[in-house]
Amino acid sequence: AQLSSRAGLDGLLLSAYAQLNARGFTQSASSFNWVRGSISGGDANKGSNSGDFNALTPYQRYELQAVSGEVNQKWQAMFEGVSRANATLRTLASAGSDVSDADKKRIGSEARFLRGHYYFELKRNFNMVPYVDETKDYGTGVETIANDKDIWPNIEADFKAAYDNLPETQSAAGRANKWAAASYLAKTYMYQKKYAEAKALFDLIIANGKTANGKKYGLVPQYSRVFNAEFDNNEESVFAIQAAANAGSSDNANPDLVLNFPYNTGSNGPAGCCGFFAPSFDLANSFRVDAKGLPLLTGVSEKDQAGGLYDQGANQLKNDQGIKSSEAFTPDAGPVDPRLDHSIGRRGIQYLDWQPHPGLDWIRDQGFAGPYSPKKFVFYRTQSKVLTDGSSWTDGYSAINYNIIRYADVLLMAAEAEIEVGSLEKARDYVNLVRSRAANPEGFVMQGGKAAANYVISPYTTAFASKDAARSAVRFERKLELSGEGHRFYDLVRWGIAEPVLNSYLAYEAPKLPTGFLGAKFQSNQDEYMPIPQTQIDIQRGVLKQNPGY
Amino acid sequence: QDRRVAGKVTGVDGPIPGANVVLKGTQTGTSTDAEGNYSISVRGANPVLVISSIGAKTQEVTVGNRSTVNVTLEDDATALSEVIVTGYTTETKRDNTGAVSTVKAKDLAAIPSGNVEQQLQGRVSGLTVITNGQPGTTSIVRVRGFGAFGGNEPLYVVDGVPTGGINFVAPDDVESTTVLKDAAAASIYGARAANGVIVITTKKGQRKAQKLSISYDGLYGVTDPGKGQPILNPQEQADWTWQAIRNTAAANGVQPDFSNVANNQYGSGQTPVLPDYINVGGVGGIIGNVDLAAAKAKYNTNINAGPIYQVVRANKAGTDWYDAITRVAPILRQTLGFSGGTETSRFYISLGNQNLQGILLNNSSTRYNFRVNTEFDLSKRLRFGQNLQLTYLSNKGITGGNGGRGVSADENDILSAFRMPPIIPIYDEFGGYAGTAAPGFNNPRNPVASRDRIKNNGTFNGLAFGNAYLEYDLIPGLTLRSNIAGQYSNYYFNNYGPRQYENSENNTTYTFSEGAGYSFGYTFTNTAQYKKKFGIHDVDVLVGMEALNTGRGRNVSGNGTNPFSEDISYVTLSNLSTTGRQVNSDLFSGVNFYSLFSRVNYIFNDKYILTGVVRRDGSSRFGSNNRYGVFPAFSAAWRLSSENFMKNLPWVSDLKVRGGYGLMGNSNNVDPNNQYSLYASNPGNGYDIGGANTSISPGFFRNRIGNPNAKWETSTTTNIGIDGAFLNNRLEVIFDLWRKDTRDLLYTVPLPGVVGVRASAPAVNIASMRNQGIDIQVITRGKVSGDLTYELNATGGFLQNTIQSLAPGSPYFDAGGTRLNGNVVRNQPGHPISSFYGYKVLGLFNTTEEIRSAPTQEGAGLGRFRYADLNGDGKISGDDRTFLGSPVPNFTGGLTVTLRYRGFDFSAYAYTSLGNQIFNNSKWFTDFYPSFTGAAVSARVKDSWTPSNMDTNIPIFEGVSNFSTNTVPNSYYVENGSYMRLQNISVGYNLPTSLLSGIGLQRVRVSASANNILTVTSYTGLDPAVGGAADSNFGVDIGNYPLTRSYNVGLSIGF
Repeated sequence: AQLSSRAGLDGLLLSAYAQLNARGFTQSASSFNWVRGSISGGDANKGSNSGDFNALTPYQRYELQAVSGEVNQKWQAMFEGVSRANATLRTLASAGSDVSDADKKRIGSEARFLRGHYYFELKRNFNMVPYVDETKDYGTGVETIANDKDIWPNIEADFKAAYDNLPETQSAAGRANKWAAASYLAKTYMYQKKYAEAKALFDLIIANGKTANGKKYGLVPQYSRVFNAEFDNNEESVFAIQAAANAGSSDNANPDLVLNFPYNTGSNGPAGCCGFFAPSFDLANSFRVDAKGLPLLTGVSEKDQAGGLYDQGANQLKNDQGIKSSEAFTPDAGPVDPRLDHSIGRRGIQYLDWQPHPGLDWIRDQGFAGPYSPKKFVFYRTQSKVLTDGSSWTDGYSAINYNIIRYADVLLMAAEAEIEVGSLEKARDYVNLVRSRAANPEGFVMQGGKAAANYVISPYTTAFASKDAARSAVRFERKLELSGEGHRFYDLVRWGIAEPVLNSYLAYEAPKLPTGFLGAKFQSNQDEYMPIPQTQIDIQRGVLKQNPGY
Repeated sequence: QDRRVAGKVTGVDGPIPGANVVLKGTQTGTSTDAEGNYSISVRGANPVLVISSIGAKTQEVTVGNRSTVNVTLEDDATALSEVIVTGYTTETKRDNTGAVSTVKAKDLAAIPSGNVEQQLQGRVSGLTVITNGQPGTTSIVRVRGFGAFGGNEPLYVVDGVPTGGINFVAPDDVESTTVLKDAAAASIYGARAANGVIVITTKKGQRKAQKLSISYDGLYGVTDPGKGQPILNPQEQADWTWQAIRNTAAANGVQPDFSNVANNQYGSGQTPVLPDYINVGGVGGIIGNVDLAAAKAKYNTNINAGPIYQVVRANKAGTDWYDAITRVAPILRQTLGFSGGTETSRFYISLGNQNLQGILLNNSSTRYNFRVNTEFDLSKRLRFGQNLQLTYLSNKGITGGNGGRGVSADENDILSAFRMPPIIPIYDEFGGYAGTAAPGFNNPRNPVASRDRIKNNGTFNGLAFGNAYLEYDLIPGLTLRSNIAGQYSNYYFNNYGPRQYENSENNTTYTFSEGAGYSFGYTFTNTAQYKKKFGIHDVDVLVGMEALNTGRGRNVSGNGTNPFSEDISYVTLSNLSTTGRQVNSDLFSGVNFYSLFSRVNYIFNDKYILTGVVRRDGSSRFGSNNRYGVFPAFSAAWRLSSENFMKNLPWVSDLKVRGGYGLMGNSNNVDPNNQYSLYASNPGNGYDIGGANTSISPGFFRNRIGNPNAKWETSTTTNIGIDGAFLNNRLEVIFDLWRKDTRDLLYTVPLPGVVGVRASAPAVNIASMRNQGIDIQVITRGKVSGDLTYELNATGGFLQNTIQSLAPGSPYFDAGGTRLNGNVVRNQPGHPISSFYGYKVLGLFNTTEEIRSAPTQEGAGLGRFRYADLNGDGKISGDDRTFLGSPVPNFTGGLTVTLRYRGFDFSAYAYTSLGNQIFNNSKWFTDFYPSFTGAAVSARVKDSWTPSNMDTNIPIFEGVSNFSTNTVPNSYYVENGSYMRLQNISVGYNLPTSLLSGIGLQRVRVSASANNILTVTSYTGLDPAVGGAADSNFGVDIGNYPLTRSYNVGLSIGF
């Protein structure tokens, strides 16, 4: 009965938000998807050394097995979120007298938004999943629902309801609002190639969208601030996982990202553990630009997305693989996109406010992981123990929000929709908005009073030559802008180019890091989705059907 | 016409005080005084005295015309004449119909553990004790197998008071220990009896006029940690690192590249070179001299003062980390006892102290105990008595879950000792700790530093345990008894976690926590017992009621980080950084029981014995639908030796056949909240909805799905036994064939993911398990020649454990293991509990042809594991996993040999556990290069696979980590865990009474013993006694705490 009070219902709802980062489950289960979205997408490799947490290695080799505990935990974590959203909706039916109609509508719509999110995650990871709503629970048939239907309509219905009923602004910055629901609905359309519906919605969002705390959607002036706890909930934050440090449990402080820091830094660097999520050679090279500051593209989307011109000859970014920290090394002097040094920690370049990255000294096993460190979602020295959790074995629990959708993502999806059903010029405008922000020199990584590298970036100044050239540019822009943010693999799959792109990626990456990659291959019509966890098939015997290929 | 007879009762150890002397066939009796003297009135034509004493054989003596009758009782009375104390009643084993074993207090005290449960190992057939070498640890104690998936601890009853553990009981205070094994014996304890009952009584003194007797028992000894595991020395580790790079390159088809291997600690040439320094200001691989004076100026280990700067010299000779974290540890146990009495009272008071130091640094168990047991006759018919023990108990530096028994499943300091590269010295050049802050050695933590840093951790319990009772003889034979008991416990702990500047990880935060709590439980018991003999009919009826609460109380604790001053006398919760400081508290209400019970025992003509027992229990653990359970048991015995046709078989001294059937309950394995569906709130499930970055709002999530219909687990036991004594008691055999079927087993059905698994699934009564076996005890004794006597006492138990069923649609559940993909333990019907599960290794791939012709196997390569394709589908997948063994021993037993010659005695005691396997998970850390690249490596790899060393089962040492190397559970980790251990050899000498009487002493005994002298096993880990988080997950060895050799001397004095 206490749970049906206003405070009780809000608590139920908040627990559904809390599950966004898959707390209590494995790191790969989080809605951040740094493992499935980014590692399987070629942004990075597992990192660390070959044996440490090697349950993640199959993600970079496309060797997932139905018995994998990681796969099972993703399933469990996302359904835990579903069950919490459903519990909120179920309890709402018996809401107490202190719950106003407006509150009922809002709480119900936020719960549906969250349920939509969790099913969106399940859909794009597992494809065929059972759909459980608030009418079924333990003991009332929940375990008998088969995974034989496409659940996109259910996901759409939840986001639509949230879009129709949520207020534009909310009392708390972390709540989903009308425009977050609109953006997620549009993203859902994109995954189904419903470009016309998506475009219509993107037009509304770009014209009228605002954040839950009332800021009109826009791009923050400096790219790095997207990944800085001090600038959380800015105008770019469409919907974010709210992180909080020193709030009683490190589960609130990005427990899913705790491994993703340079290794053995002592007090000279952040956290000191554990060397995971090492950016790939291919990603680093992708930031190479021509003299005008444009990426090195051929205009053929499939060829440009991995193993492209930038992975060839002198275009490749110079790196310190095989060189000791005590030996001299001069970083690449060629032109690069300034987002490179916000996305990738590399030898010789200032690492946030810590010190220049020393190379090998911060790398756990170069032969396995390569020379790079992650850099997004790493806290600053000035934030240590203030915006990081002091109560734990590492400082690597931080208060940095992860944006499940940020406005740059919206613009780039809108650009895609324009290419398919609208105007190539409008697509170019959207891409250029994103590039222009990256070009703000105030946002460049500085070292010794000047830019740390030869940063050159410019908007696309001429119209795209063709639809395909436009696709190539927009898709590549997503690679650059959103690298390491858990999107890439899902993008490649929904574009239908995962097989050629990822096999090109493996062809380039494997000889450099043979221990981690040699012999790996992406198998089409199988590796697009994870297997349904064997444990779940065993528990729900005769109900769940395995995905093809497993 | 009465006449007076006097005499002296003596035994092997001298005069026996307190022996009972009864005129046969009458109520007339007395007991001996402190010097063993007695005096009694006798009458009748042919008076016979019956002389008995606990721990001695009862003897009948015809008085004849004598006025002085001196009696020498044989020590070690036959097992059959032992007194069985069940808590509610007392009887002799001779007339018992159930499966019961007793252990002599003297045998218990011989083992230098301060923990009675450890001392029971191997002493009782059918009792499995799995324990480790950690002082103060708890143990896995199982009576007749593993009846449930959890909560299989036996019920302990101390002086009639049920309790959950006996770690407070001092071995020197114990008078008798009885183990009730089957329903016929144990179901008087109803819902808590299914796991057997261990009944302990403490010493009471004797009711008679006597002078005060004082005893002193002391034991002093040392434990030797022995040797660690063979680890590669620094040069070998460097060489094998290079070998791994070569092997990896060969597997990848590329040229070996030695640049940046081990962060260049060994150079980058074709052959590795050991450095002179492994860490100079964060740089490793330094060859040559370092300007130490200059370095000293930069030296810093305080992170607050700036970057860490250390200088660490390579220990080329190699650090023996196991040696570094262990020590020769002293143990001391002393008890001072006072006992005495008058015609109407008796008492026993003891003061005890025990200090057991563990072989691991800063691991110890300290206990002080004070006991007062008294009994008074308030009138001819009314008696009052009480038992009380006050205990201070402090177990420090214990690792492992469940009070230490889970130590083997921990990544603890013992594992660290085998993961820490020997090239790292313990200390840096300027006195700080050295560690993996030196690059290239991965993440082991300096275990010496870890042990040193817990030095100031405090933890202690204050315990009070006792009872008071009134007994009233209403009419002859009918006794009413009312007993009230209480147990109070209070604990406190604090934990310091100084910064670990020397390690590669976790080095910036100082943590501190402290907390305290209490609990109070009570038991109220009322019984009426009627005992009467009508001619050839012997009747004994007991009825009773019991109400108890297992303990209610509260806990409070706090934790935080980075105290302003790290001075140990300053660090309190109040002085920690206010950022992130937490306080927590919780309360618990205990479990209430209300019970009615009755027991009827009828003996006809000393030949036929019938016993019926029933108990009805109600418990608040269960919802009102199924709160009450009834547990009946029936048993019968036939004493063949009392039949006329047996009388002419003089070699049969006593022979009894008995059988029993009954039900026992188990209610341990369910949370009292199981009956409710609950939502919870905690900081881990809140959310920063406001985007504040440093605070959260509470969230409510379902944390339990209730089952109001859960009820007891019920064990049905069937027992057929034979008690026999032959050849004038020189040979005794106790044999039991038993089966225990547990049904309605509380099983937490795995929740499908779609339900939301953060809710605890309800425990439902659905699974079933079978344990069956044979318990044997054989004792032979006799004279070798002259004064040299011997006794052999062998106990053995065969056990077969099988899970019969889980829930419909729930095929198995998994548990256990670390660092491997997936669990290593599977519990599945048709297999023993906690069975190991994984891929079966057929061998290693020797040729590329073998790989090509083998079933498709991910990551297959030369020298890697070759798995069996059990389903024959041509590819190795999850479906090819199989059962690889079980940690449940098929046989456990003990053998004690005792020799006596005049005042000397010698005994040897061996324990064996056969047919169990161990999952040696520690090999994952030490046998594979990529597991934590750079950490220490087992010497096993010297025999690893190479093209020129194919005749081996050790896989190739290489950098690749995949399905075919080190990522999945397989039979490589499963080893035969059988062992035989010579646990104790002791020699004692009792000084002659004649010598002692002159100096006013009654008894002086000196003894010396050696323990754990020899262990015969093929297990390659540190110690084959591997416990864990029983019951559905044990036998997995990650970092077991070994039981090692110890030596001790003892002194017992009686005044």
